[in-house]
Amino acid sequence: MPPIIEISGLRKTYSRAFRQPHHALDGLDLEVAAGQVHGFLGPNGSGKTTTLRALLGLIRVDGGTMRIFGEEVPRRLPEVVAKIGAVVESPQFFKHFSGRLTLQLLAESAGVSKARVEEVLEQVGLRDAAKASVKGYSLGMRQRLAVAQALLKQPQLLILDEPANGLDPAGIHHMRELLQWLAHSQGVTVVVSSHLLSEVQQLCDSMTIVSRGRRIVDGGVADIIAGHGDSSLTVRFPDAASLPEAAEALTAASGSLDAAKSAVTASVDRDRLVVRGAPEPSWVTKTLADAGIYLSELRTEVKNLESVFLELTGTAPVPGRTVQIGESVVVPQTAPAEVSVGDVSVVVESEGAER
Amino acid sequence: MNLFKAELRRLARRRLSLIFGIIAAAGVLVLAGVFWFTSSKGPTEEALAEAQAEADRMNDENFEYEQCIEDEAYLDQPDYEWVESDPYYEGMTREEVCADVFGVWTAEDLIWTYTFDFAEESPLLLIGVAIIAGLVMMMLASSAIGAEWSSGGMANLLLWHPNRMRVWGAKLGAAAAVCAAAVLALMLLAFGLLYVAGAARGDVSGLDAAWWDENLPKFARAALLSVGMTVLGASLAMLGRHTAISGGIIAGYLIVGDMLVRIAALALQMPFSERLSLYTWVTAWIDGRTELYDWTDLYADNAEVMVITASEAGVLLGGIVLGFAALATWAFQRRDVS
Repeated sequence: MPPIIEISGLRKTYSRAFRQPHHALDGLDLEVAAGQVHGFLGPNGSGKTTTLRALLGLIRVDGGTMRIFGEEVPRRLPEVVAKIGAVVESPQFFKHFSGRLTLQLLAESAGVSKARVEEVLEQVGLRDAAKASVKGYSLGMRQRLAVAQALLKQPQLLILDEPANGLDPAGIHHMRELLQWLAHSQGVTVVVSSHLLSEVQQLCDSMTIVSRGRRIVDGGVADIIAGHGDSSLTVRFPDAASLPEAAEALTAASGSLDAAKSAVTASVDRDRLVVRGAPEPSWVTKTLADAGIYLSELRTEVKNLESVFLELTGTAPVPGRTVQIGESVVVPQTAPAEVSVGDVSVVVESEGAER
Repeated sequence: MNLFKAELRRLARRRLSLIFGIIAAAGVLVLAGVFWFTSSKGPTEEALAEAQAEADRMNDENFEYEQCIEDEAYLDQPDYEWVESDPYYEGMTREEVCADVFGVWTAEDLIWTYTFDFAEESPLLLIGVAIIAGLVMMMLASSAIGAEWSSGGMANLLLWHPNRMRVWGAKLGAAAAVCAAAVLALMLLAFGLLYVAGAARGDVSGLDAAWWDENLPKFARAALLSVGMTVLGASLAMLGRHTAISGGIIAGYLIVGDMLVRIAALALQMPFSERLSLYTWVTAWIDGRTELYDWTDLYADNAEVMVITASEAGVLLGGIVLGFAALATWAFQRRDVS
């Protein structure tokens, strides 16, 4: 099945008087498969919203190609727009209109029935607030209204920029269930741009991470985390004095492992030992016991999306300084390398990226 | 068509539309009320008799008049010899001559009456109503476009209708249609209320075919001017993406710009300098023609005359409106929507 969204080599440059031009998109590629919830992630200013705006015909681009449902956009956007529901950036509406009237006007303009307006109001939980002016809505209610607007035309592709923004925990939960139901039961392809990484991890099937207008990595969420998992073991001892001795024992024992398994490292980090590359946790306990060292705690540290994201985008906090906007990794423009993770392949566009 | 209807509804449902509509209707009502309360078909007999008695009393104190009536030789005095030779007084009775030369009070001099002449006065009023309605619609249209930009509604709408020309066409068409309907409604309301005021308290005679032939084209041109002003307001708001920019440019030109143009024209001693003022062309458009006079040649018997016809004014004013509309179209088509 061809991808629902195909973006290749997208470029957008903002000219600025007396300053260097800003390359918001610098050859960005993106593919979204049908029927999935696809996360679109990146640090602030990495080009996510610009990409979505370009895709939806709101801004002009300087190069590259975009296709939705196989049709070239923005040239053929009017032909496919009926199948696309979208919310781009913070939801804003005419504040003196009620939520219902806001939706009715859009529905009327596109020949959507009034009954559908009531359906989506119910679906996003705004039924009882539909009569009130938008100016009295909280950010979360406006977000719901924006999603209702996107759902109004029963889209086959739903593009949501920060859909959980402003929602309360119940709202986030409801939104997650709604989007997953749309994708997995109704066959709607959902693209979600978000900064809530835990939310993306729970919600999305696949994702693309971008930095400085270029793709860093894309693939299944679980595969990307696994591909960059590099899980480690944290070991604690009743006596901190055992730490150097334990590290030495583990390093020495790693020499007896197979060549492929020999990259065991053990480093002391304050009151704990961090072990990487160990074949199994049991190998650590056995090795230490054989050396006469007994541990008090052994914990497997598994990387989550947040740590993978921070690592890939180079935006991990550095003690004593704040990472500035636009300080994320620069991705060299090379052909993406394919990394095999089990049976699944993950495309990684940079390794050893520089800051 | 759906988009056009939705835009019509969007305009109609705006709170500002309601407020402006109420203010405009109230304004017309006040206008008719002013004529209702100031106009009368003439004084009552009682008021007339009272005024006549006062006039008689005052005339009794006018001794020269009394002497002129009583003494036939009074006007033969050297001071009044000119009366006999003035052809103006030929055929007048003695009382009339004396009244004219020495002044005599009549009841009409002491009682002020104003009679609203509908046929004479209503055309200017109705044209004024059309132009004010046009100004109001211009503000409404620019506010509708400006608010759409500042509220983010434009981006939302473009997510549904990516064909920007269609969106702009629907918005412009809806604004023009609402303006035309509003101007027509206000003119009809004003006509009706003024006619009622005239019929009850003034004079409504003279509404014959000639009156309609003379005034109907003026009304139509005034209404068309209002539609043009609406399109101009919407176009400026689309260019500036803000209501205030449209209002600022128009008010700035009408208040300061026009004055500066006139001062510059006078400083340059330019012949027919009034042609640089937009007001001149608006007057020519509505009146059908206007004449400008140039007296720079002080020794000429007659001034040079420049005639501006409605067609010429229409080309200029229409060109300005279409020029800004085209500029707004071009900008909207190319502009990034953030």
